[in-house]
Amino acid sequence: MLDMEVEQGRIAGIIGPNGAGKSTALNMIGGTLLPSKGKIVYNGRDISRTPMHRRAQYGIGRVFQENLLFKGFTALENVLVGFHLQRGKGLSSIFMNTPFGRGAETALQEKAREILAFVGLESSADESANDLPHGKQRLLCLAVALAVQPRLLLLDEPLTGMNAVEVDNMLALIRALKKEKGTTCIIIEHNMRAVMGLCDRITVLNFGRKIAEGTPEEILNNPLVAEAYLGAD
Amino acid sequence: MSDKMGKGAFFRAAVFLAAIAAPLVIGNIYWTSALTLILINVLLAVSLRLIVLIGEFSLGHVGFMCLGAYTSALLTMKAGVPFGVGVVAGGVMASLVALALGYPFMRVKGIYFVILTVMASESFRNLALNWEAFTGGFNGLVGIPAPGTLKFPWIGDVDFGGFIEYYYLTLAVVAVSLFLMSTLEKSRLGFTWRAIRETDVQAGAVGINVLRYKVINFAVACFFAGIGGALLAHSEQTISPQAGSAFGVMTTMYLLIYMVVGGKSRFSGPIYGAVVLSLVMEFTRPLQQVQPMIIGFIAVAVVLFFPDGMVSMPGILRKRLSKTQKPFEVKAADGARKG
Repeated sequence: MLDMEVEQGRIAGIIGPNGAGKSTALNMIGGTLLPSKGKIVYNGRDISRTPMHRRAQYGIGRVFQENLLFKGFTALENVLVGFHLQRGKGLSSIFMNTPFGRGAETALQEKAREILAFVGLESSADESANDLPHGKQRLLCLAVALAVQPRLLLLDEPLTGMNAVEVDNMLALIRALKKEKGTTCIIIEHNMRAVMGLCDRITVLNFGRKIAEGTPEEILNNPLVAEAYLGAD
Repeated sequence: MSDKMGKGAFFRAAVFLAAIAAPLVIGNIYWTSALTLILINVLLAVSLRLIVLIGEFSLGHVGFMCLGAYTSALLTMKAGVPFGVGVVAGGVMASLVALALGYPFMRVKGIYFVILTVMASESFRNLALNWEAFTGGFNGLVGIPAPGTLKFPWIGDVDFGGFIEYYYLTLAVVAVSLFLMSTLEKSRLGFTWRAIRETDVQAGAVGINVLRYKVINFAVACFFAGIGGALLAHSEQTISPQAGSAFGVMTTMYLLIYMVVGGKSRFSGPIYGAVVLSLVMEFTRPLQQVQPMIIGFIAVAVVLFFPDGMVSMPGILRKRLSKTQKPFEVKAADGARKG
């Protein structure tokens, strides 16, 4: 049972102990899992049964829990795959990489480099995604998601395995997205300090149920939340 | 970079010229028709590799070849359509069937997809075997017409009834097909196919309709399989649906071996594999039952020592040679530069 609303331009957090159903909830919003019951409404449109690629067209971008990248490709090519929806349809887009459509391709490469520069990976543009260290792979995941031009960004534990500097960097990027582009975010994270500092509203899940919802202060002072994390006295 | 590309173009031109000169140098009917078959094998193996771009394998290629062969043969025999139309229709038929089957088939991955393709290809062969009124049943089709006389803008009329003429016709069709396939692979479509192979979930998350792109890939690969089958039908002028014929499971196995032995990581891999192994098969034909063992032995040896196939041989050998010869010199040079 989860009933949750996210306002446009806000950052919403989902927290809860392991196995609470956070990733399941996010996967349903993103379309990797289809709900057996209930409804997901996005921009006034019921998308409960919409396939994943269609949701990307509607402007839902995703950063998965694991580093799902096009590993054999360079960082730049990864972002170029993310531009899939922005290439026109039909034959002209098919022959883009051939002499028939080189001009359009250069323009897209420029845009891809801009996105890489935004996440701070411009110097790694031509490195293979597989050779990047974990922190940079995480940033590249974000860059690929941004290539979709998302209005709603789903972040599944974007900070795992990062050191303090990388965490601050990632948080600054998410704040910049909200401020500059008005991107709505739903974020799952175990790093409490980061979640409390970043989110406008937080939903707490435990055993698949919502046990609390509110601003970070309300959540911090909620006895039910403390019980879920620490156990009852 | 441009120097390397220039070299590649030069090499390709040399291979093409050698292919043009081959039948004239050999001047032997048996070997000319053998070379025609090798060209068809090249086309089939390269088209089989297209499916590898999306990270799948097919063991059903021979079935789509069979569809192309019967379509072209029946159209030219019973409806009297010209050779060119028949061959293209064979390809279109194979790709339409692949399009229809692709949607259910591509919902599963890996070995499950492989099993479905084997079953489909065997069903096509059995259909040809049992639909006697239409396909000639067990005896197959005999007397498939040769291409006949085709008109060309500058050269005039050319009769493609002879072995050498048919070889050149096949060479032209195969060369055009290879060009199309390599262009496709480098194109945006090929880029998307490779992205799906890397991670299909992320590909879906950036808005790629994964199922549709996989089905398109399957249909394109099967189109060229159909063309290959049709070329084979008009070359042999008789086709048979028996298990031991060109449309049996063994052909599919050999195509897979050509591709893997040649190397599936590069476009040229299956070409080398098909040419070298087909030549080995020609030379070992007198050995009869031992022949498949020889092919198997070569396949195992290549996969064991050169897991990426024949195309990886030069690189690996060069590395091994440079390692055994001058490890000290390299170190000394490094030190000198630093100091």
